[in-house]
Amino acid sequence: MVMLLYKAWRESRTRFLLSAVALAIICASFVFFHGDASGGIGDEPLSYAVYIWRITYKGYLRELFMILTILLGVGGLAREREHRTVGFTLALPVSRWRLLATRTLVGLAEVVLLAALPAIVLPFLSPLIGQAYPPSQAWAFAILWATVGSLIFGMGLLASVLFAGEFTAPVAALFGLVGYTLFADVQPLERYLIDIHDVMSGIDMPYFTEATGMITGRLPLITLLAVLLATAALVGIGARITNRQDF
Amino acid sequence: MIIMPDALVIETHQLTKRFGQYAAVEALDLNVRAHQITGFLGRNGAGKSTTIKMLLNMTRPTSGTGTLLGMRIDDPKENREARRSVAYVGEDKQLYAYMTVEELIRFTRSFYSEWRHEVAQRLLTAYQLPPKRKVRALSKGMRTKLALLLALSRKPELLILDEPSEGLDPVAIEELLQTLVGAASEGTTIFFSSHQITEVERIADRVCILDHGTVVEDFSLDELQRDYRRVTLGFASNPPVDEFRMPGVRRVRRAERQLSVLVSGNAEAVAARGRSINAVSVDVVPISLREVFLESVQSGS
Repeated sequence: MVMLLYKAWRESRTRFLLSAVALAIICASFVFFHGDASGGIGDEPLSYAVYIWRITYKGYLRELFMILTILLGVGGLAREREHRTVGFTLALPVSRWRLLATRTLVGLAEVVLLAALPAIVLPFLSPLIGQAYPPSQAWAFAILWATVGSLIFGMGLLASVLFAGEFTAPVAALFGLVGYTLFADVQPLERYLIDIHDVMSGIDMPYFTEATGMITGRLPLITLLAVLLATAALVGIGARITNRQDF
Repeated sequence: MIIMPDALVIETHQLTKRFGQYAAVEALDLNVRAHQITGFLGRNGAGKSTTIKMLLNMTRPTSGTGTLLGMRIDDPKENREARRSVAYVGEDKQLYAYMTVEELIRFTRSFYSEWRHEVAQRLLTAYQLPPKRKVRALSKGMRTKLALLLALSRKPELLILDEPSEGLDPVAIEELLQTLVGAASEGTTIFFSSHQITEVERIADRVCILDHGTVVEDFSLDELQRDYRRVTLGFASNPPVDEFRMPGVRRVRRAERQLSVLVSGNAEAVAARGRSINAVSVDVVPISLREVFLESVQSGS
């Protein structure tokens, strides 16, 4: 088991480390360019918390995090077939379910770490420019990102089970994500589908106050649980398909 | 796992794999005995790799049954148990490119309780494999050696190799064949696919010839030398092919007034039958593996 975790880590570590570096640098640059980019609407300047929320948790960083999470999800046996190592892997006395499970464990751990990065970088660097960003806020957003990130990871994982091509799987997962987002905004479906972008940012959510850019209520545990269940379902479907695939 | 001599380590019955309308393997009945080197000979696309993949549960059979070391190949749990005692070296010999030689040895070792550290060390030295070098930086010959090291260090009961000499230079092929003979002498059963007749002839005890997904010949090399013959018969008029439907006759070819009969025994009876129906010439000669192979796969195509 340990060596399978090691294998999964070795296969994803470059993607993960590059993603982490990219997120950290962008977070840091958002902090250090605060003075240049903090103009508000009209004459009223934005508070630092609102600035951070707009540019980080609602803005580009959220989209980048989603894309990076998809990339962490792709890989596995279909990719190994492309690299022609699948025969070596499948000849080991290990079930396909265990191969997928270890990859999922490592991938989810990486998603959690990526989600936690802004929570580490933002409160740590803000004092350097004479500002403060509450760690409790940063960690609350980290929980939201990690949970939704696990679902997006699941999409990437399922896409990589279904599509063998090196680039086909992430593109398919991206289309799936965009498709889901569009469906979640359609009027009759809006009531039933969770808008994962809004969950991550807090937009229109009872636990978030947009005027202050702060999470002020309890995190939506039922919604987060539903997201985690959806993730488990995606991984489960991926495992079932993997078990039946020919390599 | 203790395997009795003459036990069947691989056994398939009517094993079939179809991809749409195309049958890669068709009603395959294959028996591989323990403690032998069995060559699985066939042209490219004959179904050798698909058969091996089904044996190792990489591909699911469309129909039919099979066992590997007595365990069902289509049952994931049983097959996984069998794979503890089976080593496999694939055609590409592709291994995890991102690991170093020593990392890959450490990785593989963790799955096998009977891993023989001293064998791994001996082969590492004998094959001159640099432990710190990344697998991606190894030549195909070195990757083959590393794959063999990983296979033999786990003390397998059965070693399955898919086209092991593919892409290797003559020196590497020679080393490979010597390694396989050495492993067999230590009690490992070896089953290897190939389309190289010379290497099969050199090391195999037994040969299965596969054509269009079906076993068309299965004999030991001793049987080939002892029993297989080509009986060539000349006739004054059109030769009567039907007269040679008799025991031991594998194939009959007619070329104008001449019949060429491939027999796996009973050669003298075939010659006698020819004389009894007025053959003007009768010639009985031993036959090589190459001839049997060509005859088998050409008559099928």
